[in-house]
Amino acid sequence: MKPTSDTSCPLLAWARQFWNALHAALIRPPRVIVPVPEPVVSAPVPLERLQRVVLTDGVGHTLFEEYAAHRKGERGNEETGWLLLGLRERNQAVVLATLPAGSDRDAGVAHVQFNSVAQALGSRMVRQRDRRLTILGVVHTHPGTLRHPSSGDYEGDSLWVPQLRGGEGVFGIGTADPRNPADPLFGQQPKPHVQCLGPLSFHWYALGKGDARYHNLPVEMTLGPDLARPLHDIWPLIEMHADRLDRIYRQQTGVSTDVVEGGKALRLTVPLAERGTLVQLLIRPKEVRYFVVRDGDVYAVDGPADRIDQGIYLLLAELAAG
Amino acid sequence: MDFRPLNELERRQLVNALRGNAESDRAILMDRRDTSFAGSAEEVTDEEVISAIKSVPCHY
Repeated sequence: MKPTSDTSCPLLAWARQFWNALHAALIRPPRVIVPVPEPVVSAPVPLERLQRVVLTDGVGHTLFEEYAAHRKGERGNEETGWLLLGLRERNQAVVLATLPAGSDRDAGVAHVQFNSVAQALGSRMVRQRDRRLTILGVVHTHPGTLRHPSSGDYEGDSLWVPQLRGGEGVFGIGTADPRNPADPLFGQQPKPHVQCLGPLSFHWYALGKGDARYHNLPVEMTLGPDLARPLHDIWPLIEMHADRLDRIYRQQTGVSTDVVEGGKALRLTVPLAERGTLVQLLIRPKEVRYFVVRDGDVYAVDGPADRIDQGIYLLLAELAAG
Repeated sequence: MDFRPLNELERRQLVNALRGNAESDRAILMDRRDTSFAGSAEEVTDEEVISAIKSVPCHY
Protein backbone atom coordinates (compact mmCIF):
# COMPACT_ATOMS: atom_id res chain seq x y z
CA MET A 1 0.00 0.00 0.00
CA LYS A 2 1.40 3.37 -0.94
CA PRO A 3 1.76 5.87 1.96
CA THR A 4 -0.35 9.02 1.67
CA SER A 5 1.25 12.46 2.33
CA ASP A 6 -0.61 15.25 4.22
CA THR A 7 -0.31 17.56 1.26
CA SER A 8 -1.99 15.07 -0.96
CA CYS A 9 -4.87 14.64 1.49
CA PRO A 10 -6.31 17.90 3.03
CA LEU A 11 -8.56 15.97 5.40
CA LEU A 12 -5.59 14.09 6.88
CA ALA A 13 -3.63 17.35 7.27
CA TRP A 14 -6.54 18.98 9.08
CA ALA A 15 -6.89 15.94 11.35
CA ARG A 16 -3.17 16.07 12.22
CA GLN A 17 -3.32 19.80 13.07
CA PHE A 18 -6.42 19.24 15.20
CA TRP A 19 -4.72 16.41 17.07
CA ASN A 20 -1.62 18.51 17.71
CA ALA A 21 -3.69 21.40 19.06
CA LEU A 22 -5.73 19.07 21.26
CA HIS A 23 -2.57 17.43 22.55
CA ALA A 24 -0.98 20.77 23.37
CA ALA A 25 -4.10 21.94 25.21
CA LEU A 26 -4.72 18.80 27.22
CA ILE A 27 -1.33 17.36 27.83
CA ARG A 28 0.93 20.10 29.17
CA PRO A 29 4.66 19.64 29.37
CA PRO A 30 5.93 18.62 32.78
CA ARG A 31 6.48 21.58 35.11
CA VAL A 32 10.12 22.44 35.65
CA ILE A 33 10.78 22.75 39.38
CA VAL A 34 13.44 25.30 40.17
CA PRO A 35 15.00 24.58 43.54
CA VAL A 36 14.43 27.48 45.93
CA PRO A 37 17.31 28.17 48.29
CA GLU A 38 16.56 27.87 51.98
CA PRO A 39 15.80 31.28 53.48
CA VAL A 40 18.63 32.70 55.52
CA VAL A 41 17.32 33.40 58.98
CA SER A 42 19.58 35.21 61.38
CA ALA A 43 19.65 33.39 64.66
CA PRO A 44 19.35 35.65 67.68
CA VAL A 45 22.69 36.41 69.27
CA PRO A 46 23.05 34.03 72.24
CA LEU A 47 23.36 36.08 75.39
CA GLU A 48 26.13 35.27 77.80
CA ARG A 49 26.73 36.53 81.31
CA LEU A 50 27.47 40.24 81.53
CA GLN A 51 31.15 41.05 81.58
CA ARG A 52 30.82 44.83 81.57
CA VAL A 53 28.42 47.73 81.47
CA VAL A 54 29.15 50.51 79.00
CA LEU A 55 27.78 53.97 79.75
CA THR A 56 27.62 56.74 77.19
CA ASP A 57 29.11 60.00 78.36
CA GLY A 58 25.61 61.46 78.21
CA VAL A 59 24.37 58.87 80.69
CA GLY A 60 27.41 59.46 82.92
CA HIS A 61 26.68 63.20 82.96
CA THR A 62 23.03 62.57 83.83
CA LEU A 63 23.82 60.30 86.77
CA PHE A 64 26.46 62.50 88.38
CA GLU A 65 24.76 65.84 87.64
CA GLU A 66 21.28 64.79 88.72
CA TYR A 67 22.57 63.03 91.80
CA ALA A 68 24.44 66.19 92.81
CA ALA A 69 21.32 68.31 92.15
CA HIS A 70 19.16 65.87 94.09
CA ARG A 71 21.38 66.13 97.17
CA LYS A 72 21.00 69.91 97.12
CA GLY A 73 17.20 69.76 96.77
CA GLU A 74 14.43 69.70 99.38
CA ARG A 75 14.30 65.90 99.28
CA GLY A 76 18.07 65.50 99.20
CA ASN A 77 18.12 63.20 102.22
CA GLU A 78 15.90 60.66 100.47
CA GLU A 79 17.01 57.88 98.18
CA THR A 80 16.52 58.43 94.48
CA GLY A 81 17.33 56.56 91.29
CA TRP A 82 17.05 55.96 87.58
CA LEU A 83 15.88 53.18 85.32
CA LEU A 84 18.44 52.20 82.66
CA LEU A 85 17.53 51.56 79.03
CA GLY A 86 19.87 50.43 76.32
CA LEU A 87 21.09 47.50 74.29
CA ARG A 88 21.74 44.07 75.72
CA GLU A 89 24.56 42.67 73.62
CA ARG A 90 26.27 39.29 73.79
CA ASN A 91 28.26 39.90 76.98
CA GLN A 92 27.76 43.57 77.71
CA ALA A 93 25.03 46.09 78.37
CA VAL A 94 25.22 49.49 76.66
CA VAL A 95 23.25 52.10 78.59
CA LEU A 96 21.76 54.72 76.28
CA ALA A 97 18.99 56.31 78.32
CA THR A 98 17.97 57.04 81.90
CA LEU A 99 14.43 57.46 83.20
CA PRO A 100 14.26 59.37 86.49
CA ALA A 101 12.46 58.14 89.61
CA GLY A 102 10.07 61.08 89.31
CA SER A 103 8.73 63.59 91.79
CA ASP A 104 5.78 61.24 92.48
CA ARG A 105 8.16 58.51 93.65
CA ASP A 106 7.60 56.90 97.00
CA ALA A 107 10.89 57.51 98.80
CA GLY A 108 12.43 58.03 102.19
CA VAL A 109 15.83 57.86 103.80
CA ALA A 110 15.89 54.07 103.42
CA HIS A 111 13.86 53.23 100.32
CA VAL A 112 12.77 54.38 96.87
CA GLN A 113 9.97 53.11 94.68
CA PHE A 114 9.95 54.72 91.23
CA ASN A 115 6.90 56.29 89.59
CA SER A 116 6.51 53.49 87.07
CA VAL A 117 3.53 55.02 85.26
CA ALA A 118 5.64 57.96 84.11
CA GLN A 119 8.59 55.70 83.35
CA ALA A 120 6.40 53.48 81.18
CA LEU A 121 5.35 56.51 79.16
CA GLY A 122 8.95 57.74 79.06
CA SER A 123 10.05 54.38 77.67
CA ARG A 124 7.50 54.67 74.86
CA MET A 125 8.83 58.12 74.00
CA VAL A 126 12.47 57.06 74.01
CA ARG A 127 11.79 53.86 72.07
CA GLN A 128 10.14 55.81 69.26
CA ARG A 129 13.69 56.30 68.09
CA ASP A 130 14.96 52.77 68.39
CA ARG A 131 12.80 49.82 69.34
CA ARG A 132 15.80 47.66 70.21
CA LEU A 133 16.11 49.54 73.50
CA THR A 134 15.28 47.39 76.48
CA ILE A 135 15.38 47.58 80.25
CA LEU A 136 18.88 46.88 81.51
CA GLY A 137 18.67 47.61 85.21
CA VAL A 138 18.35 50.16 87.96
CA VAL A 139 20.55 52.69 89.70
CA HIS A 140 19.59 53.90 93.15
CA THR A 141 21.32 55.86 95.84
CA HIS A 142 22.06 55.20 99.47
CA PRO A 143 22.14 58.15 101.85
CA GLY A 144 24.96 56.61 103.89
CA THR A 145 28.13 55.03 102.63
CA LEU A 146 26.77 51.52 101.94
CA ARG A 147 28.21 50.94 98.47
CA HIS A 148 26.65 47.56 97.91
CA PRO A 149 22.99 46.58 97.35
CA SER A 150 21.27 45.68 100.58
CA SER A 151 19.67 42.36 101.45
CA GLY A 152 16.30 44.01 100.84
CA ASP A 153 17.46 44.96 97.34
CA TYR A 154 18.44 41.36 96.71
CA GLU A 155 15.03 40.05 97.71
CA GLY A 156 13.30 42.17 95.06
CA ASP A 157 15.97 42.14 92.36
CA SER A 158 16.40 38.37 92.40
CA LEU A 159 12.71 38.01 91.56
CA TRP A 160 12.85 40.77 88.92
CA VAL A 161 15.90 39.84 86.84
CA PRO A 162 14.47 36.68 85.21
CA GLN A 163 12.27 38.87 83.01
CA LEU A 164 15.22 40.90 81.70
CA ARG A 165 17.05 39.98 78.51
CA GLY A 166 19.63 37.33 79.35
CA GLY A 167 18.01 36.86 82.77
CA GLU A 168 20.47 39.34 84.23
CA GLY A 169 20.32 42.97 85.36
CA VAL A 170 22.69 45.87 85.92
CA PHE A 171 22.55 47.58 89.29
CA GLY A 172 24.29 50.79 90.29
CA ILE A 173 24.58 52.15 93.81
CA GLY A 174 25.21 55.87 94.22
CA THR A 175 26.76 57.17 97.42
CA ALA A 176 28.20 60.44 98.63
CA ASP A 177 31.18 60.62 100.91
CA PRO A 178 32.80 64.01 101.61
CA ARG A 179 36.01 62.17 102.56
CA ASN A 180 36.24 60.74 99.06
CA PRO A 181 39.65 61.83 97.70
CA ALA A 182 38.50 61.91 94.05
CA ASP A 183 39.13 65.16 92.20
CA PRO A 184 35.89 67.13 91.63
CA LEU A 185 37.07 68.31 88.18
CA PHE A 186 37.13 64.96 86.43
CA GLY A 187 35.94 61.43 86.97
CA GLN A 188 38.17 58.67 88.24
CA GLN A 189 37.88 54.92 88.34
CA PRO A 190 39.77 53.53 91.35
CA LYS A 191 38.43 50.03 90.65
CA PRO A 192 37.00 48.52 87.47
CA HIS A 193 33.44 48.66 88.85
CA VAL A 194 33.68 52.05 90.60
CA GLN A 195 33.31 55.59 89.25
CA CYS A 196 34.04 58.63 91.37
CA LEU A 197 33.64 62.37 90.85
CA GLY A 198 34.38 64.49 93.90
CA PRO A 199 32.33 63.15 96.81
CA LEU A 200 29.98 61.14 94.58
CA SER A 201 30.54 57.60 93.46
CA PHE A 202 28.68 54.86 91.64
CA HIS A 203 29.43 51.19 92.23
CA TRP A 204 28.23 48.77 89.56
CA TYR A 205 26.99 45.20 90.01
CA ALA A 206 25.28 42.46 88.04
CA LEU A 207 22.73 39.98 89.31
CA GLY A 208 21.58 37.00 87.24
CA LYS A 209 18.72 34.59 87.63
CA GLY A 210 19.54 32.15 90.43
CA ASP A 211 22.60 34.07 91.64
CA ALA A 212 23.19 33.94 95.37
CA ARG A 213 24.77 37.40 95.37
CA TYR A 214 25.60 40.43 93.23
CA HIS A 215 28.85 40.42 91.24
CA ASN A 216 31.12 43.41 90.66
CA LEU A 217 30.55 44.63 87.11
CA PRO A 218 33.35 46.57 85.35
CA VAL A 219 32.11 49.86 83.92
CA GLU A 220 33.38 51.55 80.77
CA MET A 221 32.55 54.86 79.11
CA THR A 222 31.96 55.64 75.46
CA LEU A 223 30.77 58.64 73.49
CA GLY A 224 27.03 58.88 73.07
CA PRO A 225 23.85 60.54 74.28
CA ASP A 226 21.41 59.99 77.06
CA LEU A 227 18.45 59.58 74.74
CA ALA A 228 16.01 60.40 77.53
CA ARG A 229 17.73 63.53 78.81
CA PRO A 230 15.44 65.96 76.90
CA LEU A 231 12.54 64.40 78.81
CA HIS A 232 14.06 65.03 82.23
CA ASP A 233 13.39 68.77 82.16
CA ILE A 234 9.68 68.19 81.57
CA TRP A 235 9.34 65.09 83.70
CA PRO A 236 6.75 66.76 85.99
CA LEU A 237 4.63 67.38 82.88
CA ILE A 238 5.04 63.75 81.85
CA GLU A 239 4.03 62.61 85.32
CA MET A 240 0.99 64.92 85.24
CA HIS A 241 -0.43 63.36 82.05
CA ALA A 242 1.22 59.91 82.11
CA ASP A 243 -1.91 57.80 82.56
CA ARG A 244 -3.89 59.49 79.81
CA LEU A 245 -1.00 59.77 77.37
CA ASP A 246 -0.14 56.13 77.88
CA ARG A 247 -3.74 55.23 77.04
CA ILE A 248 -3.46 57.15 73.75
CA TYR A 249 -0.23 55.29 72.91
CA ARG A 250 -1.93 51.96 73.60
CA GLN A 251 -5.08 52.67 71.64
CA GLN A 252 -3.79 54.56 68.58
CA THR A 253 -1.12 53.61 66.09
CA GLY A 254 1.75 55.81 64.98
CA VAL A 255 1.53 58.12 68.00
CA SER A 256 4.68 60.15 68.59
CA THR A 257 5.85 62.80 71.02
CA ASP A 258 8.43 65.56 70.71
CA VAL A 259 9.90 67.94 73.24
CA VAL A 260 9.37 71.46 71.92
CA GLU A 261 9.59 75.14 72.93
CA GLY A 262 13.10 74.79 74.26
CA GLY A 263 12.32 71.82 76.47
CA LYS A 264 9.24 73.37 78.11
CA ALA A 265 6.41 71.63 76.29
CA LEU A 266 5.41 68.33 74.74
CA ARG A 267 3.89 67.94 71.30
CA LEU A 268 1.78 64.84 70.83
CA THR A 269 1.00 63.78 67.26
CA VAL A 270 -1.76 61.34 66.37
CA PRO A 271 -1.85 60.55 62.64
CA LEU A 272 -5.26 59.86 61.12
CA ALA A 273 -6.10 57.38 58.39
CA GLU A 274 -6.88 60.21 55.97
CA ARG A 275 -3.67 61.12 54.19
CA GLY A 276 -2.07 64.39 55.31
CA THR A 277 -4.36 64.71 58.33
CA LEU A 278 -3.31 64.52 61.93
CA VAL A 279 -4.24 65.72 65.38
CA GLN A 280 -1.62 67.51 67.43
CA LEU A 281 -1.63 68.57 71.06
CA LEU A 282 0.72 71.14 72.49
CA ILE A 283 1.01 70.27 76.17
CA ARG A 284 2.36 73.02 78.39
CA PRO A 285 2.50 73.01 82.19
CA LYS A 286 -0.65 75.14 82.52
CA GLU A 287 -2.49 74.63 79.26
CA VAL A 288 -3.14 72.11 76.50
CA ARG A 289 -3.86 73.29 72.96
CA TYR A 290 -5.48 71.12 70.30
CA PHE A 291 -4.82 71.36 66.58
CA VAL A 292 -5.99 69.59 63.45
CA VAL A 293 -3.50 69.59 60.58
CA ARG A 294 -4.88 69.01 57.07
CA ASP A 295 -2.51 69.11 54.11
CA GLY A 296 -0.26 71.54 55.95
CA ASP A 297 -3.07 73.84 57.11
CA VAL A 298 -3.33 74.09 60.89
CA TYR A 299 -6.68 74.61 62.65
CA ALA A 300 -6.87 75.33 66.37
CA VAL A 301 -9.75 73.69 68.22
CA ASP A 302 -10.98 73.74 71.80
CA GLY A 303 -10.39 70.84 74.17
CA PRO A 304 -10.02 70.07 77.86
CA ALA A 305 -6.69 70.81 79.53
CA ASP A 306 -6.72 67.93 81.97
CA ARG A 307 -8.47 64.95 80.34
CA ILE A 308 -6.47 64.94 77.15
CA ASP A 309 -7.46 61.42 76.10
CA GLN A 310 -11.14 62.43 76.21
CA GLY A 311 -10.27 65.61 74.33
CA ILE A 312 -8.66 63.63 71.53
CA TYR A 313 -11.55 61.19 71.21
CA LEU A 314 -14.13 63.99 71.21
CA LEU A 315 -12.14 65.66 68.45
CA LEU A 316 -11.93 62.41 66.47
CA ALA A 317 -15.70 61.97 66.84
CA GLU A 318 -16.29 65.47 65.47
CA LEU A 319 -13.96 64.80 62.54
CA ALA A 320 -15.75 61.52 61.82
CA ALA A 321 -19.10 63.28 61.86
CA GLY A 322 -17.90 65.45 59.07
CA MET B 1 -4.09 47.18 51.27
CA ASP B 2 -3.06 50.59 52.58
CA PHE B 3 -0.71 52.32 50.16
CA ARG B 4 -0.23 55.51 52.16
CA PRO B 5 3.35 56.77 52.52
CA LEU B 6 5.18 55.84 55.70
CA ASN B 7 5.21 58.45 58.42
CA GLU B 8 8.48 59.60 59.90
CA LEU B 9 8.40 57.10 62.75
CA GLU B 10 7.61 54.13 60.50
CA ARG B 11 10.22 55.23 58.00
CA ARG B 12 12.90 55.40 60.69
CA GLN B 13 11.99 51.95 61.97
CA LEU B 14 12.11 50.49 58.46
CA VAL B 15 15.48 52.13 57.77
CA ASN B 16 16.86 50.72 61.03
CA ALA B 17 15.58 47.26 60.11
CA LEU B 18 17.06 47.46 56.62
CA ARG B 19 20.37 48.61 58.04
CA GLY B 20 20.37 45.76 60.56
CA ASN B 21 19.60 43.33 57.75
CA ALA B 22 22.38 44.64 55.50
CA GLU B 23 25.04 45.00 58.17
CA SER B 24 24.27 42.21 60.62
CA ASP B 25 21.99 39.75 58.82
CA ARG B 26 19.12 40.59 61.14
CA ALA B 27 15.81 39.21 59.92
CA ILE B 28 13.11 41.65 58.84
CA LEU B 29 9.70 40.54 60.03
CA MET B 30 6.66 40.53 57.76
CA ASP B 31 2.99 40.58 58.71
CA ARG B 32 1.68 37.27 57.40
CA ARG B 33 -1.78 38.76 56.73
CA ASP B 34 -0.81 41.54 54.35
CA THR B 35 2.99 41.24 53.93
CA SER B 36 3.51 44.66 55.51
CA PHE B 37 6.65 45.48 57.50
CA ALA B 38 6.28 44.17 61.04
CA GLY B 39 9.59 45.07 62.60
CA SER B 40 12.95 43.38 62.92
CA ALA B 41 14.16 40.40 64.91
CA GLU B 42 16.14 42.60 67.28
CA GLU B 43 13.22 44.73 68.38
CA VAL B 44 11.81 44.49 71.87
CA THR B 45 8.06 44.76 72.30
CA ASP B 46 6.43 47.52 74.31
CA GLU B 47 4.74 44.86 76.41
CA GLU B 48 8.07 43.33 77.47
CA VAL B 49 9.57 46.71 78.37
CA ILE B 50 6.55 48.03 80.22
CA SER B 51 6.04 44.80 82.10
CA ALA B 52 9.62 45.07 83.37
CA ILE B 53 9.14 48.74 84.31
CA LYS B 54 5.90 48.14 86.18
CA SER B 55 7.50 45.35 88.21
CA VAL B 56 10.67 47.16 89.31
CA PRO B 57 10.86 46.35 93.03
CA CYS B 58 11.28 48.85 95.82
CA HIS B 59 14.96 49.49 96.55
CA TYR B 60 16.41 49.98 100.00
